[in-house]
Amino acid sequence: MVNKQNRVSAIFAALADPTRRRIMVRLSERGETAVTALAKPFRISPPGFSKHLRVLEKAHLIQRHRQGRLHLIRARSAGLKEAQKWMAQCAAFWDSRFDQLNEVLQSEQRKEKKR
Amino acid sequence: MNSDLEITGSRMQITRVFDAPRERVFDAWKRPDLMARWSGCKETAKVEITMDFRVGGSFTQKMDIDGAGQHTITGVYDEIIEPQKIAYHVNLGPATTRVVVEFIAQGRRTKVVLTQEGFPDPSIVKMVSTGTLESLDKLERLLLAQAA
Repeated sequence: MVNKQNRVSAIFAALADPTRRRIMVRLSERGETAVTALAKPFRISPPGFSKHLRVLEKAHLIQRHRQGRLHLIRARSAGLKEAQKWMAQCAAFWDSRFDQLNEVLQSEQRKEKKR
Repeated sequence: MNSDLEITGSRMQITRVFDAPRERVFDAWKRPDLMARWSGCKETAKVEITMDFRVGGSFTQKMDIDGAGQHTITGVYDEIIEPQKIAYHVNLGPATTRVVVEFIAQGRRTKVVLTQEGFPDPSIVKMVSTGTLESLDKLERLLLAQAA
């Protein structure tokens, strides 16, 4: 569960950056894209751009593979799905806590009536 | 699920109406002895709570969870308006999750609206205010559509 939480944190941290969000949007519109073509509209140095890609890759939001001399990048949906799943898990966690909170409130109320 | 749930983008909102007056519901978040009785999930055997209930104060919840071992959550209170609102954040490694709990009186009952966002700060504030969160929603839909 801790590892999973770290993965989800990595996804959110990766997407918190506006440049990386733009990279993701561009990728999702274009499908698989070569790194050089992907980097074109961004005014960032190649090392800077690679750094952003590494963050996205570590968060499992993109996948890269080589085709000869080309480095191709593709968006992965599994990462976002995982983030959504985590939200749903949090909700289920709160829901079960709220059930217990409800019981505590009811029992406090009963105690009060007895007094 | 006994609560109402809404998930939009990276934001989760859960709502529940409790059959108790607002002060009492607020107390259950304010008093560690009460909180220990309802914190943790069904699998939680034991909960230990420490809290310094003031803005800037921190809290810890140490939980023994069956099959998952011991978990400790540490958070810091960002805003407290008694008996209406509590806001805090919890660090999860590189990211921060923010929780806002609102207590709305409805006669003798109380509606609790809990909003949780899992984003590193302070970008979330910026994103929400500039509407870029919408682009994230769009991205999410696009990617999910691609996967389908």
